[in-house]
Amino acid sequence: MNARRLWRWLLAILVAGWLPVILITWWWKSSATSDNPFFPPLEMIWEQFKLNWVFTNVPIHLVPSLENLFTGFAIAVVVGIGLGALIGTSAGAARYVEPIVDFFRSIPPVALVPVFILLLGLDSGMRIASISFAAAFPILISTIEGVRQTNAVLLDTATVFRLSPARLLWQVRLPNAMPVVFGGLQVGLQIAFIVTVASEYLGSGFGLGAFTLTATDTFNILDAWTGVLLLGLLGYVLSLVFDLVERASLGWYYGQKKLA
Amino acid sequence: MTTPAISIRDVCMDYPSPEGVKHVLDGISYDVSDGHFVSIVGPSGVGKTTLLRLLTGLAQPTGGSIEVRGEKLSGSPKGLAVVLQDYTRSLMPWLTVEKNIALPLRSEKLSKSERKERIESSLAEVGLEGNQKSYPWQLSGGMQQRVSIARALAVRPSILVMDEPFASVDAQTRFDLEDLVLKVRDDFHITTIMVTHDIDEAVYLSDEVVVLYGKPAKVSEVVSIDLPFPRSQVETRNDHRFAALRTRIYEKVRGLEAPTQP
Repeated sequence: MNARRLWRWLLAILVAGWLPVILITWWWKSSATSDNPFFPPLEMIWEQFKLNWVFTNVPIHLVPSLENLFTGFAIAVVVGIGLGALIGTSAGAARYVEPIVDFFRSIPPVALVPVFILLLGLDSGMRIASISFAAAFPILISTIEGVRQTNAVLLDTATVFRLSPARLLWQVRLPNAMPVVFGGLQVGLQIAFIVTVASEYLGSGFGLGAFTLTATDTFNILDAWTGVLLLGLLGYVLSLVFDLVERASLGWYYGQKKLA
Repeated sequence: MTTPAISIRDVCMDYPSPEGVKHVLDGISYDVSDGHFVSIVGPSGVGKTTLLRLLTGLAQPTGGSIEVRGEKLSGSPKGLAVVLQDYTRSLMPWLTVEKNIALPLRSEKLSKSERKERIESSLAEVGLEGNQKSYPWQLSGGMQQRVSIARALAVRPSILVMDEPFASVDAQTRFDLEDLVLKVRDDFHITTIMVTHDIDEAVYLSDEVVVLYGKPAKVSEVVSIDLPFPRSQVETRNDHRFAALRTRIYEKVRGLEAPTQP
């Protein structure tokens, strides 16, 4: 029984890991003798990576980025779900609000950073505002949609059982909307990550975006590569954690789907 | 003469529709006696479910009035519970069985131990002890409908309203659930109103069967079911009076008073 589980784990790791292993090996070997300054050997990048990120630069560049990212995303979640729940619940509101929402979400998120700099200056408040503004829209839209499509039988049942409007929203409409909302959260997190890095390209000395851009501008190619690698790693870990949280929160949804 | 549990007085229901106003119900009057089991039958689309929505306070009649224990209905009254046909959509899939049953109890001021007791006794009543922690979708259709019934019972209703409650389960489960509903009615003295398209079921369960007919619908007949209680799936259904009642209601539902030859 236990051996079988172990075997399944190993198999899963093999299935997921074979391509990355091949690619990294290929990169390592093919770049080993490279004298192109823009494509240094992976071994050198790796040595530099350890110098930079274990853990010398972590408090200067990684921590501020993560702080901005999580603060901005958290604000986006609260505002997006809160407003979305209100708009989705009232039948008329969505029609009046939707054109505006569609307009703002159509602006490429990164393009708004300069506007926020004009309005808020160059401190981390501006970065957090840019992140939360851009990330709020997918969350807002999915919440409106999710809350609105609560099925009529569920609402009728709750009404006959005389649930108050607040409990109807909190205990029926919102939980029912969560599978749809999580779709928006995922897109929102990706956007938040992009804007975190982009917002550090301008007027910042700290953060992964600033680090990578400064390195590029000063032809510090090794540092630039380590920044890109760390960003890639970070994005991957974020989506992994997100999947875990989603699976845990929507256990009922996936369980039901598996049986259907 | 005691006050009826529910008094339907000259109720009309009109809907606006693209072709003008659609009259669904036209002057429905009927009293549901306290503790009675009443079935509402009629052809498809006659307005049974509309009437049921009015009785549960989910919609307001455009004419006439409905009184529950002498009080005019506005909104869903306290002490009324529902069981709907579509159990897969009327139970919350994200809540366990016990939390589903607890949901309507939150509106009442109960201590934690009282609430727990209500949940457990309701589950015991429907024969689902030990399933508290399951999710509804992990249970069979019949068991899910039992959970709906337990949820309805947990609020200690004086009136139970059911819309095609057994239409989505297999025949054997259906018999079991019918007998369960009869037991529940006896145990708690609940006035029960059921909408169904199954005439046999209506006869088997009811004290009275109300036949709706026509467009707009009127009460075409009220049939008193004088079969003895307790009823049994074998004996009651084989009673010759059962067959006679069924035939009479069937003809009313099909509008077959004077069959015409082509």
